[in-house]
Amino acid sequence: MFSFTKEQKVFKISGIKIGGQPGKYPTILFGGVFFKGDFDFEYTEKNIQDMLNISKKTANPIIPDFFIKKEEHIENIINFIDTKLPKNVPFSIDVIEPSIKVKALEHLNDKDLLSRTIYNSIHIGITDRELNALKNNTPEMAIILAFNPKDKSPDGKVEILENGANLTKDGLLNIANNLGIKKILVDTAALAPGDNSGAAIAAIPVIKEEYGLPTGCAIHNVVEKSKWLDNFNYAKTTVDASSNVNIPLFGGDYAIFGPMKNAEYVIPVIAWQDILISEYAENYFGISPDNFHPRRKLL
Amino acid sequence: MNQEYYPWGGEFTTCSPDGCVAVILLNIDYKPNELVAIYGSLKTENIGIEKIVANVISNPKIRYLVVCGNDIRGHRSGMSIIALKENGIDEQHKIINSPGAIPYIENLNNEAIERFRNQIEIIDLLGITDKKKLDKVIDSLSAKSPPPFGEPYIAIKIIDESYVKLNDKRALHSKIVMNYMGKIERRDK
Repeated sequence: MFSFTKEQKVFKISGIKIGGQPGKYPTILFGGVFFKGDFDFEYTEKNIQDMLNISKKTANPIIPDFFIKKEEHIENIINFIDTKLPKNVPFSIDVIEPSIKVKALEHLNDKDLLSRTIYNSIHIGITDRELNALKNNTPEMAIILAFNPKDKSPDGKVEILENGANLTKDGLLNIANNLGIKKILVDTAALAPGDNSGAAIAAIPVIKEEYGLPTGCAIHNVVEKSKWLDNFNYAKTTVDASSNVNIPLFGGDYAIFGPMKNAEYVIPVIAWQDILISEYAENYFGISPDNFHPRRKLL
Repeated sequence: MNQEYYPWGGEFTTCSPDGCVAVILLNIDYKPNELVAIYGSLKTENIGIEKIVANVISNPKIRYLVVCGNDIRGHRSGMSIIALKENGIDEQHKIINSPGAIPYIENLNNEAIERFRNQIEIIDLLGITDKKKLDKVIDSLSAKSPPPFGEPYIAIKIIDESYVKLNDKRALHSKIVMNYMGKIERRDK
Protein backbone atom coordinates (compact mmCIF):
# COMPACT_ATOMS: atom_id res chain seq x y z
CA MET A 1 0.00 0.00 0.00
CA PHE A 2 1.43 3.30 -1.12
CA SER A 3 1.30 7.04 -0.89
CA PHE A 4 2.76 9.43 -3.44
CA THR A 5 5.09 12.40 -3.07
CA LYS A 6 3.80 14.03 -6.25
CA GLU A 7 0.57 15.99 -5.86
CA GLN A 8 -2.27 13.84 -7.15
CA LYS A 9 -4.89 15.33 -9.45
CA VAL A 10 -8.57 14.64 -8.88
CA PHE A 11 -10.98 15.05 -11.77
CA LYS A 12 -14.75 15.26 -11.58
CA ILE A 13 -17.27 14.07 -14.09
CA SER A 14 -21.01 14.21 -13.34
CA GLY A 15 -20.20 14.45 -9.65
CA ILE A 16 -17.86 11.41 -9.60
CA LYS A 17 -14.32 12.08 -8.40
CA ILE A 18 -11.43 10.10 -9.92
CA GLY A 19 -7.82 10.22 -8.75
CA GLY A 20 -6.01 11.39 -5.62
CA GLN A 21 -3.86 9.71 -3.00
CA PRO A 22 -4.63 6.04 -2.27
CA GLY A 23 -7.26 5.78 0.45
CA LYS A 24 -8.96 9.10 -0.31
CA TYR A 25 -11.56 8.25 -2.94
CA PRO A 26 -13.19 4.93 -3.78
CA THR A 27 -11.96 2.96 -6.77
CA ILE A 28 -14.08 3.77 -9.84
CA LEU A 29 -15.39 0.75 -11.74
CA PHE A 30 -16.09 0.70 -15.46
CA GLY A 31 -18.49 -2.11 -16.44
CA GLY A 32 -18.53 -3.17 -20.09
CA VAL A 33 -21.78 -2.90 -22.04
CA PHE A 34 -21.58 -5.15 -25.08
CA PHE A 35 -24.28 -5.76 -27.65
CA LYS A 36 -24.37 -8.93 -29.68
CA GLY A 37 -26.77 -9.21 -32.58
CA ASP A 38 -30.12 -7.64 -31.67
CA PHE A 39 -30.17 -4.87 -29.12
CA ASP A 40 -31.72 -6.10 -25.91
CA PHE A 41 -32.06 -2.70 -24.29
CA GLU A 42 -34.36 -3.95 -21.53
CA TYR A 43 -31.70 -6.43 -20.41
CA THR A 44 -29.01 -3.74 -20.63
CA GLU A 45 -31.07 -1.26 -18.64
CA LYS A 46 -31.68 -3.85 -15.93
CA ASN A 47 -27.99 -4.76 -15.78
CA ILE A 48 -26.97 -1.11 -15.47
CA GLN A 49 -29.57 -0.58 -12.73
CA ASP A 50 -28.21 -3.67 -10.91
CA MET A 51 -24.69 -2.21 -11.10
CA LEU A 52 -25.94 1.13 -9.76
CA ASN A 53 -27.75 -0.60 -6.88
CA ILE A 54 -24.59 -2.47 -5.81
CA SER A 55 -22.63 0.75 -6.23
CA LYS A 56 -25.01 2.53 -3.83
CA LYS A 57 -24.38 -0.15 -1.22
CA THR A 58 -20.58 -0.05 -1.41
CA ALA A 59 -19.96 3.59 -2.44
CA ASN A 60 -17.82 2.57 -5.42
CA PRO A 61 -19.03 4.67 -8.37
CA ILE A 62 -19.68 2.71 -11.54
CA ILE A 63 -19.41 3.96 -15.10
CA PRO A 64 -20.92 1.97 -17.99
CA ASP A 65 -18.41 1.48 -20.81
CA PHE A 66 -20.33 1.19 -24.09
CA PHE A 67 -18.52 -0.88 -26.70
CA ILE A 68 -19.45 0.30 -30.20
CA LYS A 69 -18.48 -2.28 -32.77
CA LYS A 70 -20.32 -1.25 -35.92
CA GLU A 71 -21.17 2.08 -37.48
CA GLU A 72 -24.85 1.12 -37.74
CA HIS A 73 -24.92 0.66 -33.94
CA ILE A 74 -23.87 4.23 -33.11
CA GLU A 75 -27.32 5.79 -33.26
CA ASN A 76 -29.07 3.05 -31.27
CA ILE A 77 -26.46 2.98 -28.52
CA ILE A 78 -26.21 6.75 -28.16
CA ASN A 79 -30.02 7.07 -28.15
CA PHE A 80 -30.09 4.51 -25.37
CA ILE A 81 -27.52 6.52 -23.40
CA ASP A 82 -29.49 9.70 -24.00
CA THR A 83 -32.90 8.37 -23.01
CA LYS A 84 -32.32 5.53 -20.56
CA LEU A 85 -29.09 6.15 -18.68
CA PRO A 86 -29.75 8.23 -15.53
CA LYS A 87 -28.65 11.81 -16.21
CA ASN A 88 -26.27 11.87 -13.25
CA VAL A 89 -24.29 8.88 -14.54
CA PRO A 90 -21.29 9.50 -16.79
CA PHE A 91 -20.33 6.90 -19.38
CA SER A 92 -17.45 5.94 -21.60
CA ILE A 93 -17.48 4.89 -25.21
CA ASP A 94 -15.06 2.18 -26.20
CA VAL A 95 -14.43 2.10 -29.94
CA ILE A 96 -11.59 0.50 -31.88
CA GLU A 97 -12.31 1.47 -35.50
CA PRO A 98 -11.08 5.05 -36.17
CA SER A 99 -13.93 5.90 -38.57
CA ILE A 100 -16.54 4.83 -36.00
CA LYS A 101 -14.80 6.94 -33.36
CA VAL A 102 -15.24 10.03 -35.53
CA LYS A 103 -18.94 9.41 -36.17
CA ALA A 104 -19.64 8.51 -32.53
CA LEU A 105 -18.07 11.80 -31.36
CA GLU A 106 -20.17 13.80 -33.80
CA HIS A 107 -23.31 12.00 -32.68
CA LEU A 108 -22.53 12.57 -29.00
CA ASN A 109 -22.10 16.27 -29.73
CA ASP A 110 -25.43 16.39 -31.59
CA LYS A 111 -27.11 14.89 -28.54
CA ASP A 112 -25.30 17.27 -26.19
CA LEU A 113 -23.75 14.36 -24.28
CA LEU A 114 -20.05 15.28 -24.44
CA SER A 115 -20.03 16.70 -20.89
CA ARG A 116 -20.76 13.18 -19.57
CA THR A 117 -18.48 11.39 -22.04
CA ILE A 118 -15.22 9.61 -21.24
CA TYR A 119 -13.48 8.85 -24.52
CA ASN A 120 -11.93 5.37 -24.51
CA SER A 121 -9.31 5.84 -25.84
CA ILE A 122 -6.55 7.96 -27.36
CA HIS A 123 -3.58 5.78 -28.36
CA ILE A 124 -0.65 5.72 -30.77
CA GLY A 125 -2.94 4.72 -33.64
CA ILE A 126 -4.71 8.11 -33.53
CA THR A 127 -5.53 9.36 -37.03
CA ASP A 128 -5.70 12.94 -38.35
CA ARG A 129 -9.46 12.57 -38.82
CA GLU A 130 -9.81 11.44 -35.22
CA LEU A 131 -7.72 14.40 -34.02
CA ASN A 132 -9.93 16.73 -35.97
CA ALA A 133 -13.10 15.12 -34.65
CA LEU A 134 -11.81 15.40 -31.08
CA LYS A 135 -10.98 19.07 -31.64
CA ASN A 136 -14.51 19.81 -32.86
CA ASN A 137 -16.30 17.46 -30.48
CA THR A 138 -14.19 17.51 -27.33
CA PRO A 139 -15.25 15.05 -24.63
CA GLU A 140 -15.13 16.03 -20.96
CA MET A 141 -12.61 13.32 -20.16
CA ALA A 142 -10.41 10.91 -22.09
CA ILE A 143 -8.54 7.72 -21.35
CA ILE A 144 -5.00 7.69 -22.74
CA LEU A 145 -3.81 4.18 -23.52
CA ALA A 146 -0.11 3.86 -22.68
CA PHE A 147 0.53 0.98 -25.08
CA ASN A 148 4.07 0.95 -26.41
CA PRO A 149 4.66 -1.94 -28.82
CA LYS A 150 8.44 -1.33 -28.58
CA ASP A 151 8.71 -1.55 -24.83
CA LYS A 152 5.99 -3.02 -22.66
CA SER A 153 7.70 -2.17 -19.35
CA PRO A 154 6.48 0.71 -17.14
CA ASP A 155 9.30 2.87 -18.53
CA GLY A 156 8.09 2.13 -22.06
CA LYS A 157 4.58 3.17 -21.09
CA VAL A 158 5.93 6.45 -19.66
CA GLU A 159 7.81 7.02 -22.93
CA ILE A 160 4.58 6.82 -24.94
CA LEU A 161 2.93 9.38 -22.69
CA GLU A 162 5.99 11.62 -22.71
CA ASN A 163 7.17 11.65 -26.32
CA GLY A 164 5.20 9.06 -28.28
CA ALA A 165 8.31 6.84 -28.58
CA ASN A 166 8.74 8.15 -32.14
CA LEU A 167 5.47 6.48 -33.08
CA THR A 168 3.44 9.69 -32.87
CA LYS A 169 4.53 13.28 -33.54
CA ASP A 170 4.19 14.18 -29.88
CA GLY A 171 3.65 12.50 -26.52
CA LEU A 172 0.10 11.30 -25.99
CA LEU A 173 -0.36 13.61 -23.00
CA ASN A 174 0.57 16.66 -25.08
CA ILE A 175 -1.70 15.50 -27.87
CA ALA A 176 -4.63 15.33 -25.42
CA ASN A 177 -3.74 18.67 -23.84
CA ASN A 178 -3.49 20.38 -27.22
CA LEU A 179 -6.96 19.08 -28.05
CA GLY A 180 -8.26 20.88 -24.98
CA ILE A 181 -8.91 17.70 -23.00
CA LYS A 182 -7.99 18.65 -19.46
CA LYS A 183 -9.31 15.60 -17.62
CA ILE A 184 -7.09 12.70 -18.48
CA LEU A 185 -7.10 9.14 -17.17
CA VAL A 186 -4.10 6.96 -17.98
CA ASP A 187 -4.70 3.31 -18.90
CA THR A 188 -1.53 1.26 -18.40
CA ALA A 189 -2.49 -1.18 -21.22
CA ALA A 190 -2.84 -4.68 -19.81
CA LEU A 191 -1.58 -7.18 -22.37
CA ALA A 192 -1.99 -10.92 -22.78
CA PRO A 193 -0.30 -13.38 -20.42
CA GLY A 194 3.27 -13.78 -21.69
CA ASP A 195 3.43 -10.17 -22.94
CA ASN A 196 4.65 -8.59 -19.71
CA SER A 197 1.07 -8.50 -18.41
CA GLY A 198 2.22 -7.64 -14.87
CA ALA A 199 3.78 -4.42 -16.13
CA ALA A 200 0.28 -2.91 -16.38
CA ILE A 201 0.07 -3.15 -12.59
CA ALA A 202 3.71 -2.19 -11.91
CA ALA A 203 3.29 0.90 -14.10
CA ILE A 204 0.50 2.34 -11.95
CA PRO A 205 2.69 3.78 -9.16
CA VAL A 206 5.31 4.84 -11.70
CA ILE A 207 2.81 6.88 -13.72
CA LYS A 208 1.04 8.27 -10.64
CA GLU A 209 4.37 9.51 -9.25
CA GLU A 210 5.53 10.83 -12.61
CA TYR A 211 2.39 12.76 -13.59
CA GLY A 212 -0.05 12.70 -10.65
CA LEU A 213 -2.77 11.65 -13.08
CA PRO A 214 -5.58 9.19 -12.28
CA THR A 215 -4.38 5.80 -13.48
CA GLY A 216 -5.86 2.34 -13.90
CA CYS A 217 -6.28 -0.43 -16.45
CA ALA A 218 -8.39 -3.32 -17.73
CA ILE A 219 -6.51 -6.10 -15.96
CA HIS A 220 -9.51 -8.30 -16.72
CA ASN A 221 -8.20 -8.48 -20.31
CA VAL A 222 -5.26 -10.58 -19.13
CA VAL A 223 -7.61 -13.11 -17.56
CA GLU A 224 -9.85 -13.13 -20.60
CA LYS A 225 -6.91 -13.91 -22.88
CA SER A 226 -5.67 -16.82 -20.77
CA LYS A 227 -6.26 -20.26 -22.27
CA TRP A 228 -4.65 -21.87 -19.26
CA LEU A 229 -7.45 -20.69 -16.97
CA ASP A 230 -10.03 -22.43 -19.16
CA ASN A 231 -9.01 -25.59 -17.35
CA PHE A 232 -10.38 -24.18 -14.09
CA ASN A 233 -14.03 -23.22 -14.62
CA TYR A 234 -14.78 -22.00 -11.11
CA ALA A 235 -11.42 -20.33 -10.58
CA LYS A 236 -11.70 -18.30 -13.77
CA THR A 237 -14.51 -16.14 -12.36
CA THR A 238 -12.66 -15.75 -9.06
CA VAL A 239 -9.40 -14.83 -10.76
CA ASP A 240 -11.23 -12.43 -13.07
CA ALA A 241 -12.84 -10.55 -10.17
CA SER A 242 -9.92 -10.70 -7.77
CA SER A 243 -7.27 -9.61 -10.26
CA ASN A 244 -8.86 -6.15 -10.05
CA VAL A 245 -7.70 -5.72 -6.44
CA ASN A 246 -4.16 -5.25 -7.74
CA ILE A 247 -5.18 -1.89 -9.17
CA PRO A 248 -6.08 -0.10 -5.89
CA LEU A 249 -3.37 -2.04 -4.08
CA PHE A 250 -0.76 -0.46 -6.35
CA GLY A 251 -2.31 2.98 -5.92
CA GLY A 252 -4.58 2.95 -8.98
CA ASP A 253 -7.84 4.84 -9.27
CA TYR A 254 -10.06 2.86 -11.61
CA ALA A 255 -10.61 -0.60 -13.06
CA ILE A 256 -12.27 -1.52 -16.33
CA PHE A 257 -13.58 -4.85 -15.14
CA GLY A 258 -15.16 -6.53 -18.19
CA PRO A 259 -18.81 -7.36 -18.84
CA MET A 260 -21.19 -5.64 -16.44
CA LYS A 261 -22.73 -8.97 -15.42
CA ASN A 262 -19.55 -9.45 -13.35
CA ALA A 263 -20.47 -6.42 -11.23
CA GLU A 264 -21.84 -8.45 -8.32
CA TYR A 265 -18.49 -10.23 -8.01
CA VAL A 266 -16.19 -7.32 -8.67
CA ILE A 267 -17.73 -4.37 -6.82
CA PRO A 268 -17.77 -5.90 -3.29
CA VAL A 269 -14.23 -7.27 -3.76
CA ILE A 270 -12.95 -3.83 -4.67
CA ALA A 271 -14.94 -2.17 -1.87
CA TRP A 272 -13.27 -4.53 0.58
CA GLN A 273 -9.85 -3.72 -0.81
CA ASP A 274 -10.61 0.01 -0.61
CA ILE A 275 -11.38 -0.40 3.10
CA LEU A 276 -8.05 -2.14 3.77
CA ILE A 277 -6.15 0.53 1.87
CA SER A 278 -8.01 3.36 3.56
CA GLU A 279 -7.25 2.02 7.04
CA TYR A 280 -3.55 1.82 6.22
CA ALA A 281 -3.43 5.17 4.42
CA GLU A 282 -5.14 6.95 7.30
CA ASN A 283 -2.91 5.42 9.98
CA TYR A 284 0.38 5.84 8.16
CA PHE A 285 -0.14 8.82 5.87
CA GLY A 286 -3.03 10.70 7.48
CA ILE A 287 -5.29 10.35 4.45
CA SER A 288 -8.93 10.34 5.61
CA PRO A 289 -11.45 8.75 3.28
CA ASP A 290 -13.96 10.93 1.48
CA ASN A 291 -17.52 10.90 2.81
CA PHE A 292 -18.48 8.76 -0.15
CA HIS A 293 -16.15 5.79 0.42
CA PRO A 294 -16.71 2.07 1.20
CA ARG A 295 -15.16 2.55 4.62
CA ARG A 296 -17.92 4.99 5.53
CA LYS A 297 -20.61 2.67 4.15
CA LEU A 298 -19.63 -0.82 5.17
CA LEU A 299 -18.09 -0.43 8.59
CA MET B 1 9.88 -29.93 -33.85
CA ASN B 2 8.25 -27.22 -31.80
CA GLN B 3 11.54 -26.52 -30.11
CA GLU B 4 13.45 -26.34 -33.34
CA TYR B 5 10.91 -24.18 -35.16
CA TYR B 6 8.34 -21.68 -33.91
CA PRO B 7 10.29 -19.90 -31.17
CA TRP B 8 7.40 -17.69 -30.13
CA GLY B 9 4.61 -19.63 -28.42
CA GLY B 10 0.97 -18.86 -29.04
CA GLU B 11 -2.41 -20.22 -29.99
CA PHE B 12 -1.34 -22.46 -32.85
CA THR B 13 -1.31 -26.13 -33.81
CA THR B 14 1.60 -27.73 -35.61
CA CYS B 15 0.96 -30.50 -38.12
CA SER B 16 3.33 -31.77 -40.83
CA PRO B 17 7.07 -31.05 -40.38
CA ASP B 18 7.39 -30.98 -44.20
CA GLY B 19 4.31 -28.84 -44.83
CA CYS B 20 4.63 -25.75 -47.02
CA VAL B 21 1.41 -24.08 -45.88
CA ALA B 22 0.60 -21.99 -42.82
CA VAL B 23 -2.99 -20.94 -42.19
CA ILE B 24 -4.20 -17.86 -40.30
CA LEU B 25 -7.71 -18.21 -38.91
CA LEU B 26 -9.73 -15.04 -38.36
CA ASN B 27 -13.02 -15.37 -36.47
CA ILE B 28 -13.47 -18.89 -37.82
CA ASP B 29 -13.62 -22.34 -36.31
CA TYR B 30 -11.84 -24.38 -38.96
CA LYS B 31 -9.29 -27.16 -38.99
CA PRO B 32 -7.25 -27.54 -42.18
CA ASN B 33 -5.83 -30.85 -43.40
CA GLU B 34 -2.94 -32.50 -41.54
CA LEU B 35 -0.50 -31.75 -44.36
CA VAL B 36 -0.21 -28.07 -43.48
CA ALA B 37 2.79 -27.03 -41.39
CA ILE B 38 0.97 -24.90 -38.85
CA TYR B 39 -2.34 -23.14 -38.28
CA GLY B 40 -3.75 -20.83 -35.65
CA SER B 41 -5.72 -17.71 -34.90
CA LEU B 42 -4.62 -14.08 -35.20
CA LYS B 43 -6.09 -11.31 -33.06
CA THR B 44 -3.94 -8.19 -32.97
CA GLU B 45 -2.38 -6.17 -35.78
CA ASN B 46 0.88 -5.64 -33.87
CA ILE B 47 2.08 -8.34 -31.46
CA GLY B 48 -0.07 -11.00 -33.13
CA ILE B 49 1.50 -10.33 -36.54
CA GLU B 50 5.01 -10.23 -35.02
CA LYS B 51 4.50 -13.71 -33.60
CA ILE B 52 3.28 -15.08 -36.91
CA VAL B 53 6.16 -13.55 -38.86
CA ALA B 54 8.75 -14.82 -36.36
CA ASN B 55 7.29 -18.32 -36.34
CA VAL B 56 6.77 -18.59 -40.09
CA ILE B 57 10.31 -17.57 -41.03
CA SER B 58 11.73 -20.00 -38.48
CA ASN B 59 10.54 -22.77 -40.82
CA PRO B 60 11.94 -22.27 -44.33
CA LYS B 61 9.66 -24.99 -45.69
CA ILE B 62 6.63 -22.73 -45.23
CA ARG B 63 6.09 -20.90 -48.52
CA TYR B 64 2.34 -20.21 -48.51
CA LEU B 65 0.44 -18.26 -45.90
CA VAL B 66 -3.33 -18.58 -46.19
CA VAL B 67 -5.36 -15.80 -44.55
CA CYS B 68 -9.00 -16.85 -44.16
CA GLY B 69 -12.19 -16.04 -42.27
CA ASN B 70 -13.67 -12.67 -41.34
CA ASP B 71 -11.21 -9.95 -40.42
CA ILE B 72 -11.09 -8.70 -36.83
CA ARG B 73 -13.12 -5.50 -36.45
CA GLY B 74 -11.04 -2.44 -35.60
CA HIS B 75 -7.79 -4.38 -35.53
CA ARG B 76 -8.09 -5.48 -39.19
CA SER B 77 -5.29 -7.93 -38.52
CA GLY B 78 -5.85 -9.96 -41.69
CA MET B 79 -5.64 -6.92 -43.96
CA SER B 80 -2.64 -5.74 -41.95
CA ILE B 81 -0.54 -8.86 -42.51
CA ILE B 82 -1.41 -8.72 -46.21
CA ALA B 83 -0.31 -5.04 -46.22
CA LEU B 84 2.92 -6.05 -44.49
CA LYS B 85 3.70 -8.52 -47.25
CA GLU B 86 2.80 -6.04 -49.99
CA ASN B 87 4.27 -2.82 -48.60
CA GLY B 88 6.54 -3.52 -45.62
CA ILE B 89 6.91 -0.96 -42.84
CA ASP B 90 7.75 2.74 -42.81
CA GLU B 91 10.44 4.56 -40.78
CA GLN B 92 8.23 4.58 -37.72
CA HIS B 93 7.76 0.81 -38.05
CA LYS B 94 4.14 1.24 -39.07
CA ILE B 95 2.80 -1.24 -41.62
CA ILE B 96 2.37 0.82 -44.77
CA ASN B 97 -1.29 1.17 -45.83
CA SER B 98 -2.59 -1.03 -43.05
CA PRO B 99 -6.18 -0.23 -42.06
CA GLY B 100 -5.62 -1.52 -38.50
CA ALA B 101 -5.82 0.65 -35.38
CA ILE B 102 -2.22 0.24 -34.09
CA PRO B 103 -0.29 -1.60 -36.83
CA TYR B 104 3.28 -1.29 -35.54
CA ILE B 105 6.01 -3.94 -35.82
CA GLU B 106 8.49 -3.20 -33.07
CA ASN B 107 10.02 -6.48 -32.00
CA LEU B 108 11.40 -7.68 -35.33
CA ASN B 109 14.28 -6.22 -37.31
CA ASN B 110 14.04 -5.20 -40.97
CA GLU B 111 15.92 -8.30 -42.07
CA ALA B 112 13.28 -10.54 -40.50
CA ILE B 113 10.49 -8.59 -42.16
CA GLU B 114 12.17 -8.69 -45.56
CA ARG B 115 12.80 -12.39 -45.11
CA PHE B 116 9.07 -12.88 -44.43
CA ARG B 117 8.11 -10.84 -47.47
CA ASN B 118 10.43 -12.83 -49.71
CA GLN B 119 9.79 -16.28 -48.26
CA ILE B 120 6.01 -16.16 -48.24
CA GLU B 121 3.31 -15.99 -50.84
CA ILE B 122 0.04 -14.86 -49.28
CA ILE B 123 -3.17 -16.52 -50.34
CA ASP B 124 -5.86 -13.95 -49.57
CA LEU B 125 -9.04 -15.78 -48.60
CA LEU B 126 -10.37 -12.96 -46.42
CA GLY B 127 -14.14 -13.10 -46.18
CA ILE B 128 -14.27 -16.79 -47.05
CA THR B 129 -15.69 -19.02 -44.31
CA ASP B 130 -17.07 -21.89 -46.42
CA LYS B 131 -15.06 -24.88 -45.27
CA LYS B 132 -15.33 -26.73 -48.56
CA LYS B 133 -13.92 -23.76 -50.44
CA LEU B 134 -11.09 -23.44 -47.93
CA ASP B 135 -10.35 -27.18 -48.08
CA LYS B 136 -10.12 -27.01 -51.86
CA VAL B 137 -7.52 -24.21 -51.88
CA ILE B 138 -5.52 -25.47 -48.92
CA ASP B 139 -5.50 -29.09 -50.16
CA SER B 140 -4.15 -28.02 -53.53
CA LEU B 141 -1.43 -25.84 -51.92
CA SER B 142 -0.48 -28.69 -49.57
CA ALA B 143 0.08 -31.00 -52.53
CA LYS B 144 2.78 -28.70 -53.89
CA SER B 145 6.43 -29.13 -52.98
CA PRO B 146 8.24 -25.83 -53.44
CA PRO B 147 11.91 -25.66 -52.43
CA PRO B 148 12.67 -24.52 -48.88
CA PHE B 149 13.71 -20.86 -48.49
CA GLY B 150 17.27 -21.42 -47.24
CA GLU B 151 18.05 -21.92 -43.57
CA PRO B 152 15.69 -21.33 -40.62
CA TYR B 153 15.65 -17.68 -39.52
CA ILE B 154 15.35 -17.25 -35.79
CA ALA B 155 14.14 -13.67 -35.38
CA ILE B 156 13.45 -13.85 -31.71
CA LYS B 157 14.34 -16.24 -28.95
CA ILE B 158 12.13 -16.34 -25.93
CA ILE B 159 14.30 -16.73 -22.86
CA ASP B 160 12.78 -18.96 -20.21
CA GLU B 161 14.39 -17.19 -17.27
CA SER B 162 15.87 -13.77 -16.83
CA TYR B 163 17.66 -12.09 -13.99
CA VAL B 164 17.21 -8.44 -13.11
CA LYS B 165 19.61 -6.54 -10.88
CA LEU B 166 18.56 -3.57 -8.80
CA ASN B 167 20.55 -1.15 -10.92
CA ASP B 168 19.25 -2.67 -14.15
CA LYS B 169 17.67 -0.03 -16.40
CA ARG B 170 15.05 -2.60 -17.32
CA ALA B 171 13.90 -2.92 -13.73
CA LEU B 172 10.15 -2.45 -13.49
CA HIS B 173 10.43 0.46 -11.11
CA SER B 174 13.46 2.19 -12.53
CA LYS B 175 11.77 5.59 -12.09
CA ILE B 176 10.58 5.33 -8.48
CA VAL B 177 11.80 4.33 -5.04
CA MET B 178 9.79 3.55 -1.95
CA ASN B 179 10.55 3.86 1.74
CA TYR B 180 9.76 1.28 4.42
CA MET B 181 6.20 2.60 4.89
CA GLY B 182 5.29 2.61 1.22
CA LYS B 183 5.89 6.28 0.49
CA ILE B 184 6.88 6.59 -3.14
CA GLU B 185 9.08 9.24 -4.72
CA ARG B 186 10.97 9.73 -7.96
CA ARG B 187 14.30 7.96 -8.08
CA ASP B 188 16.22 10.99 -9.35
CA LYS B 189 15.26 13.27 -6.41
